[in-house]
Amino acid sequence: MDWTFTDDRPIWQQITEQLTLRILKGEYPPGGRLPAVRELATQAGVNPNTMQRALAQLETEGLAVGSRTAGRTVTEDTAVIEAAARERARAAVAACLRILAELGYSPENALVFVKEELSNE
Amino acid sequence: MFGKLLKYDFRSMIKQFAFIWPAALVLAIVNRFTLDGLDSTSSVGETTAGIAMLVYVAILISMFIVAVIFVIQRFYKGLLGDEGYLMHTLPVKPWQLIGSKLACALVVTVVNILVAILSILLIVPWAASDLKELFEVFQYLFTHWNIQATQVMIAMLEFVLFSLTSFAVGYLHLYLSMAIGHLFNKNRVAMSVIAFIAIQVLLSILGNILARPFSDLIYPAFSRLDGMPAYHISMWVLIAGEVLLAAVYFVGTEYILRKRLNLE
Amino acid sequence: MNEQLVTCAALTKRYGGKRALAEVDLELGRGRIVGLLGPNGSGKTTMIKILCGLLQPTEGAVLVDGQPVGPYTKSIISYLPDRMYFADWMKATDLFDLFADFYKDFDRTKAMSMCASLGVTPSDRLKSMSKGTKEKVQLVLVMARKAQLYLLDEPIAGVDPAARDFILSTILTNYNDEGTVLISTHLISDIEKVLDEAVFLKEGQITLHDTVDNIREREGKSVDALFREVFRAANYEGGAF
Repeated sequence: MDWTFTDDRPIWQQITEQLTLRILKGEYPPGGRLPAVRELATQAGVNPNTMQRALAQLETEGLAVGSRTAGRTVTEDTAVIEAAARERARAAVAACLRILAELGYSPENALVFVKEELSNE
Repeated sequence: MFGKLLKYDFRSMIKQFAFIWPAALVLAIVNRFTLDGLDSTSSVGETTAGIAMLVYVAILISMFIVAVIFVIQRFYKGLLGDEGYLMHTLPVKPWQLIGSKLACALVVTVVNILVAILSILLIVPWAASDLKELFEVFQYLFTHWNIQATQVMIAMLEFVLFSLTSFAVGYLHLYLSMAIGHLFNKNRVAMSVIAFIAIQVLLSILGNILARPFSDLIYPAFSRLDGMPAYHISMWVLIAGEVLLAAVYFVGTEYILRKRLNLE
Repeated sequence: MNEQLVTCAALTKRYGGKRALAEVDLELGRGRIVGLLGPNGSGKTTMIKILCGLLQPTEGAVLVDGQPVGPYTKSIISYLPDRMYFADWMKATDLFDLFADFYKDFDRTKAMSMCASLGVTPSDRLKSMSKGTKEKVQLVLVMARKAQLYLLDEPIAGVDPAARDFILSTILTNYNDEGTVLISTHLISDIEKVLDEAVFLKEGQITLHDTVDNIREREGKSVDALFREVFRAANYEGGAF
């Protein structure tokens, strides 16, 4: 999988997001081993310190456990992963609703519109 | 570290002279046989001998010219050119860099002279009886002229030492000139040449000024001596003078490389 | 071991009347990849040459691992110059011998394996190699050392994108954890991802020294975009230096 970075934010934040996405998608399954810092850094073409910081953030969020020396694994606690997925989903929906609001949809109309779109698919 | 520097300087020296030294010796041997052609009446033999001698002399001369070019190039390109980027970032001191180049230059000179002597010995068709005669001549000199063999040996050593120090002074003169030329931002080669001449002029002026007081100083001492003692002392005075001059050049070059290095 | 790997205090270098560096103060820690960024003529090469002892500063002081520039600092610095620096008649293996002789931290095995992955035949004469291959040999020499400070002067200028990627990944995979890498360049977009810190050098003065993360967070834009803004005026001058 490719890594893409935008210019507007620190790279480590973007890496954290992309790694999180991989965990949520099950590319890195619960309890599975994460690649070493250096390996990931080389893959992404980024500084190992940057990758280290991104992984540390994953640990803070509870998605990854372990240490730099022993190797990291994805958490076995699926509740944490589900919570993270829900958090993501919530953010996506919030963003969607914000745009619809800007377009003039009231919350009720927005709900109707989303339902219509779902039935069309 | 100095030994390692020497190793690499010697390797580049061998690379440079790998052809010319054996060539000089081989041509000497060729001449040894073609020279017989001169005695014969055939013009072919004469021509061959002439050409062989010409090539031999040319090789011998170019050997010494190449040596001077080698000494200049190894210093200029090796320390002040692009290769200097490597040499000056090695964990060594500047005096070691200069010392290694100088040692290499002196070895080239000595080997050149040895090759020249050896080649001349090779041309002359020696016989066992010749060596015996030569030995007898020396024996005669030692017994009848009251010359002591040890004295001759010492005198020769003194001469060799003096020659070596003179060569060292010559090479260090070149090094210092190039180092001074390097101080300028433009026209470094031209400035090196000017520095070379300027040092020469300065030296002769200094020589003129010091010659009189110096001779006044040592003349009384010499007037009481004669023969070999006088020779020994004058040789040692000359050697001391060369060593002093070499030291001054060396210190000057070292200072520039240590404090004023400006590679670009 | 000193806290800071590199300390420059009021470092000034004049060429005639022109100032290439003007009272530069700079501190670099260990285990960092630092970009020394500025347009041509801003003093990047001068700075690097002073650190490795090829130039003497007019004023000011430099300490590397707490020591003034000399044989010790040279033994812990691995320097990639902006030109070829070896005699043509040598082979790459001859250079490996030389480096192994003079630098205790040179890893010959690593050099050979780097050559293999770069497609360089180390037993070839340098004379017969293309410019690109020679550059690779030089990169191998520099990165096969376990140095404390790597000084890379414009390593990615004038090479094609494939070679550029290769150089960057070589740097990323081969530098050691305690080592600091200082890369000078004016092509920032290519190397921004690998940098911890950026130092902006403008007309011989440091105008910015911060982590790349901080710069992105504070400015809301990439270091490259910021660089283009800061140096737009200088670019108009068309490299007057």
